[in-house]
Amino acid sequence: MRKRTLSVAALASLAFAATACGGSDPAAPSAAPSGSAAPTGQAGGTLVIWADPNRVKALRPFADQFGTENGVTVEVKEISKDNQQTFITASQQGSGPDVMIGAHDWIGNLVQNGAIDPVNLTEAQKAAFPEIAMKAVTFDGQTYGAPYAVENIALIRNTDLAPDAPATIEDLVKEGKRLKADGKVEEVLCLPVTQKGDAFHAYPIFAAGGGSLFGATPSGDPDPKQVMLDSPGSVKAFGKLRALGEKGDGVLKTSITNENYIVNFAAKKCAYLISGPWAMTDVKKGGFGYDITPVPSFEGGAPATPFVGVQTFFVAAKGKSKALAQEFVTNYVTDKDVAKALYDADPRPPALTEALEEVKTTDADAGKFMDAGKDGMPMPAIPEMQAVWQPFGIAEAAVVKGGDAAKAAGAAQKAIDGALKN
Amino acid sequence: MAPDARETARRGPRRTVTTAFVVSRIAVLAVAAAFLLYAAPPLAAAGSWTGLGVLGAATAVIGYLYLTPRHIPAKYLVPGTVFLIAFQIFPVLYTVSTAFTNFGDGHRGDKQAAVTAIETGSVRQAPGSPEYDLTVGLRGQELVFLLVDPDTEQVRLGTADSLSPLPGAQVGVTGKVLRAPGVTVLTTPQAAARGPEISALSVPTPDGAIKANGLSRAVEGKAALVYDAGCDCVRGDADTWTADDGQGYFVNAAGEHLAQGWQVDVGFDNFAQVLTNPTISGYFLGVFGWNTGFALASVGGTFALGMAVALALHHPRMRGTTVYRIALILPYAMPSFAMLLVWRDLFNRDFGLINQFFGLNVDWMGQPGTARLAVILVNLWLGFPYMFLVTTGALQAIPRELTEAASIDGATPWQGFRRVTLPLLLVALTPLLISSFAFNFNNFNAIALTSEGGPFPAENSQVGATDLLITYTFRLAFGTGGAQFGFAAAISVFIFAIVAVISAVAFRRTRRQEEVYA
Amino acid sequence: MKLALRHVFVLVVCAFAVFPILFVISAAINPLGTLASTDLLPTQVSLGNFGDLFASDVYPFGRWFLNSVAIALLSSFASLLLSMCAAYAFSRMRFAGRRAGLLALLLIQMFPQFLAIVTIFMIFTRVTELYPAFGFDTVWGLMLLYLGGALGVNTWLMKGFLDTVPKELDEAATVDGATHAQIFWRIIMPLVTPILAVTSLLAFIGIMSEFLMASVFLRDPESKTLAVGMYGMIAGDQRNANFGMFAAGTLLTAIPTVGVFLWLQKYIVSGLTAGAVKG
Repeated sequence: MRKRTLSVAALASLAFAATACGGSDPAAPSAAPSGSAAPTGQAGGTLVIWADPNRVKALRPFADQFGTENGVTVEVKEISKDNQQTFITASQQGSGPDVMIGAHDWIGNLVQNGAIDPVNLTEAQKAAFPEIAMKAVTFDGQTYGAPYAVENIALIRNTDLAPDAPATIEDLVKEGKRLKADGKVEEVLCLPVTQKGDAFHAYPIFAAGGGSLFGATPSGDPDPKQVMLDSPGSVKAFGKLRALGEKGDGVLKTSITNENYIVNFAAKKCAYLISGPWAMTDVKKGGFGYDITPVPSFEGGAPATPFVGVQTFFVAAKGKSKALAQEFVTNYVTDKDVAKALYDADPRPPALTEALEEVKTTDADAGKFMDAGKDGMPMPAIPEMQAVWQPFGIAEAAVVKGGDAAKAAGAAQKAIDGALKN
Repeated sequence: MAPDARETARRGPRRTVTTAFVVSRIAVLAVAAAFLLYAAPPLAAAGSWTGLGVLGAATAVIGYLYLTPRHIPAKYLVPGTVFLIAFQIFPVLYTVSTAFTNFGDGHRGDKQAAVTAIETGSVRQAPGSPEYDLTVGLRGQELVFLLVDPDTEQVRLGTADSLSPLPGAQVGVTGKVLRAPGVTVLTTPQAAARGPEISALSVPTPDGAIKANGLSRAVEGKAALVYDAGCDCVRGDADTWTADDGQGYFVNAAGEHLAQGWQVDVGFDNFAQVLTNPTISGYFLGVFGWNTGFALASVGGTFALGMAVALALHHPRMRGTTVYRIALILPYAMPSFAMLLVWRDLFNRDFGLINQFFGLNVDWMGQPGTARLAVILVNLWLGFPYMFLVTTGALQAIPRELTEAASIDGATPWQGFRRVTLPLLLVALTPLLISSFAFNFNNFNAIALTSEGGPFPAENSQVGATDLLITYTFRLAFGTGGAQFGFAAAISVFIFAIVAVISAVAFRRTRRQEEVYA
Repeated sequence: MKLALRHVFVLVVCAFAVFPILFVISAAINPLGTLASTDLLPTQVSLGNFGDLFASDVYPFGRWFLNSVAIALLSSFASLLLSMCAAYAFSRMRFAGRRAGLLALLLIQMFPQFLAIVTIFMIFTRVTELYPAFGFDTVWGLMLLYLGGALGVNTWLMKGFLDTVPKELDEAATVDGATHAQIFWRIIMPLVTPILAVTSLLAFIGIMSEFLMASVFLRDPESKTLAVGMYGMIAGDQRNANFGMFAAGTLLTAIPTVGVFLWLQKYIVSGLTAGAVKG
């Protein structure tokens, strides 16, 4: 039924196109009836990979090599907008890729849409990754992708201004304020808050203050039925954020945003920056000494665990060349050289321990970031996490501006519970 | 009327009428034929006979339309309308139809797709089973697996029916089978070409089945969850999930559902949800008021400013107009998403140029009043070049004699503008002002890329001071564990209705203007 | 004296128009390029970002540039033709459903476009199977899609303009035995050159800056348009790293538009209707 409507629409669209090309070259019709399992059956086969712009270039040589070895054509396509939704929609309609590259926290949503298949890594392959990377790509007991890069935020410090790593947030504030009073810097800490809050960057401090997002299911996964934002621990943590905020120490400010926080650090306007590997290109342009250490906690506080994101290769469930996709993801990209090439294109610490060790010899930063994140928390991959980011962020911005912590936490809790129908 | 135009009308066309007539008819036939030749074969190959029928009918209609002297308006409207139907009306109708379903993340496909996803997603490797090295071969025409247990180096033959030992096979160092009795070993490219067949082959074993994992490995696994058509339920892991066709999920006794759902019709549920959602209904009036104000201020502001500059430049002795005009259209020539981000930073309290330039310390985007002012100002900047351009164009159509005549009659320039220029401008531009209002009423990007709806009060994280109807309702539709397209479509229908009523009322008022010259 | 006032006013508005752009220029020539620094005057000056833009092998900027201009020119020309035809019918002819059709044209534009992406995928998945030349990853398919919007705002705009052209003109021609096609091509079209010029410019700009549809359609790095490519530069967490190049690219994006404007300007302000409309 729907197919018919589609043919009509397809026809309508061609009605005038034909005038443009005058009926030349009636393109070879693909005889494949569209259906879930029907193969196109082209000789040699084609593997289609979707990646974001920064990785396309790095993947090309390996894709070509894979193509030559297997006698297939490999196409690397570039997607730059709403990658996750575009992938799901395209897959559903039968225009999707065979292999998708994305962040591990997509997994929950991709699984509920039946967009990806579990991948089967051997025990030896699994052992080649650090535990946190495998934990991140495991969802509901199944491995859903091959990790290739691990990223998390850490404290980056201008060692010309602040030679010693602060042991606690209190130390950091004290030292930062001193530098500010001396006129050496304009801000104590460059951490993006923005008008809408930034849950990703605020989370380590929130966790250090005793806050938590979800309770845990028996299997240890985050439990969306138990949102913990207005728990006493979380309210206390919001209180700590408030004390650091505009009406308190003036360390956290809504005027520090994702657009300006890194560049302000690079321009020596602050001695401390909380950011990830993506900041390093700009930080190096600043031309001063720096060091990377884990985000410190409050005195006597809980560990300041950052969120850990894992960049992952996925096998599309509705791809046309699934066998090739599995071969590529499970046996090919778990290779050290591929991991290193991707690192060269975009310097995020490789997930493969062996590749990381090699990268470390030339780039100490990668190892330091990895160390800062080793006790981190993989970003929750459950789809419900999408309901958390915004209310959490707004609560953060509200307390930073001096709002009441309990009220802000309660409003966020209510919004999330409402959205998740708890 | 000017004599030259009339002359053209009288003499020019008549001479060429026959040639033009013949040529245009031949062209129409040629186009129709070419179109048919191009579009028909793929449809026939795909067996889409309905498509072919429609194609034939469409070609016939178009041929008829342009050969007959009748249906003149249709001749002018059909070309654009065809595309309009295919790429605007059909998508909109389809989207509206999803408003009656639960279409969205978790409910995108049909039930069969959900079952497949559930079963595939639950396949677990059989405990203690080997990771076979896989070689693909052909036994006659049949695709078979040659499976090597890496520990024992024993070779087995896997077919769709059975798994049996295969003595006499020769295994290479990489674990690939080089030669096997009765089986033609495929090279990697040959195997790659048969990817779909390889994926489809399932070798039965006592504990489940062996499936290929790529081209070089195979794994014995078993689906932990299996669909049972008899009870319309999914069993496994010591639990049973029964299909609930009301919500498109498999649900167990405890009320928990499996992640993968399917699309079902939900009637007017989405519409009811729009009406009963406390966040939507509780803040509707306030948001609606600001939304209308925002749209009016955007249209009024851009039109007033655009027209004022166009008028200022519309003077015979004005010099440097080209440079001025280029400067004025620059805001429109830049990618707007980039400039919206720039503006957001200009309004930054501590690092923004505006505060620095004027020596202020205003938290522009942090207070409701200033944030609203800021987004209107940004929208003014983005929109006035458009109004400037169209007014400039429209002004050319107003005979200077009319304004001159007014000034001879002793009217002041202002009176001349009010009585002559403005009414004529409005004839041309009123429709545009209406469409501009409708556009700004739903101007998602102008808000999403600047204030993002904020500032938000501490006690309410769902509705901010600069939120438009579309931004705060869509936040509900897309911010809750995935995109709820059905709900979003229902919201769109409501907003669409509001805009339609406002526009239709305004549109009625244009009827009289339209007839000014008629 | 009055003229001086006009200059002052226009200069003020120009300052308003150009002010944020100066900021972009500053970011583009600052090696530590950012759209977020406080300083309008960069501390360092270099054209490095422009150089990087054309030397970059990740971002084939030159190709994007050509793609954009070609697509925008072709599509705006084709859509102009379609919308002009429709506007002529709406303005000059009286037929059943005329006003309803006009209103429907307006309202159809009001539907949030990104909701339609699902349907666009549906349609073009099928088109790609049947007619690969017009499917995904082809410029032709994208242009077809753009033609779907041809009867949108532009038709309204032109219809409004056409309403100001006195009907006596074409009525006289009809009396003289001219066909509707002759009136359209020989009388109306020449009279409305300024309108055509303005509308083509608007259509050109509209397509130059469109990236929602283009981003799902064009997935080869070499086939992208400027808007899609530039968006990709700052999408996600890459945004800081590329701001300088991005700012440089933003500035260059304006060049084709300004070029087209300069080319069309003489038609826009030629005032050639003055003689004919005297009637």
